[in-house]
Amino acid sequence: MTGIIILVTFIGMIIVAFAAIIQTKLADAIILFMGTGLGSVVLFFTFKAPDVALTEAVIGGGISSLIFLMALKHLGEER
Amino acid sequence: MNIKRELPTTTLSGFALSGLLVVTILNILLQNMPKEIYSAGDALLKLNETEGVANAVTTVVVFFRGFDTLGEIAVLFIASLGIGLMLHSNTHCNIKAESNFMLQTASKLLFPIILLFGIYVMVYGHLSPGGGFQGGVIIASAILLLLISDKSFEIPHSIIITLETFAGVSYVLIGLIGLLILDTFLGNFLPHNISQMGLLLSGGIIPLIYIIVGIKVGSEMSMIVQNIIKRSDDV
Repeated sequence: MTGIIILVTFIGMIIVAFAAIIQTKLADAIILFMGTGLGSVVLFFTFKAPDVALTEAVIGGGISSLIFLMALKHLGEER
Repeated sequence: MNIKRELPTTTLSGFALSGLLVVTILNILLQNMPKEIYSAGDALLKLNETEGVANAVTTVVVFFRGFDTLGEIAVLFIASLGIGLMLHSNTHCNIKAESNFMLQTASKLLFPIILLFGIYVMVYGHLSPGGGFQGGVIIASAILLLLISDKSFEIPHSIIITLETFAGVSYVLIGLIGLLILDTFLGNFLPHNISQMGLLLSGGIIPLIYIIVGIKVGSEMSMIVQNIIKRSDDV
């Protein structure tokens, strides 16, 4: 059961990461990048590291996405 | 015109020499192989039982590697200082974008809950997963919500300076008291019985240090977030 969860999470993370690369809109790419962080939270939790999972959830979901979005706001949509 | 192909003698001799070295080192390693292999983590986890702390990760981070944690906090302080120096602006902030009604109402509802959860994670760091770093960042994310929703909200610098100085000085002071009493920096001088494992007031100085780390990380991350948001709305 745990093996299936890990496998599905890994495949989902790879798909989301590819989707983040392919996106043309930068805001969508940032949201999809946060999706890979969510997958790694699940993985840390299944590997019995809840401390690291909590850190990843707070920093990956909250603070780093804030920094990315603020940088995007500075730059505008053009690249 | 013919190109004379020479044997690359220097490259070949280099390969031969390095191959010889690898074989020699492998031979030495295989002959002196220990019977059983221990990792540093296993030894530390076995020592955890002497400290009376339920969460083994906390014991390693705060107690066995407490000096490293002091260094990490110093790194975070330097990062906060750098962002403050780079993004400092004297002009008073005027946010152009108005936050909408949904965000204002939800932030009033969610702010106390997130703050309470951050304090819970911080105080129970020695019993359950979490600790000072995580709790501090959760508190900073609660303040981030307020900063986004209310444009007139601003944390006064004096509060941040007071909290940060208090936390940094008391971390070093606790370490020095341990040095005086037990001859080791950050020695666990408060009572920590194995029989009290799992209680809130157990583990000696470890919960105290994690609360101090939480205060310091929370104030520093709040300052970073405030600097980034105010500055990005300024331009």
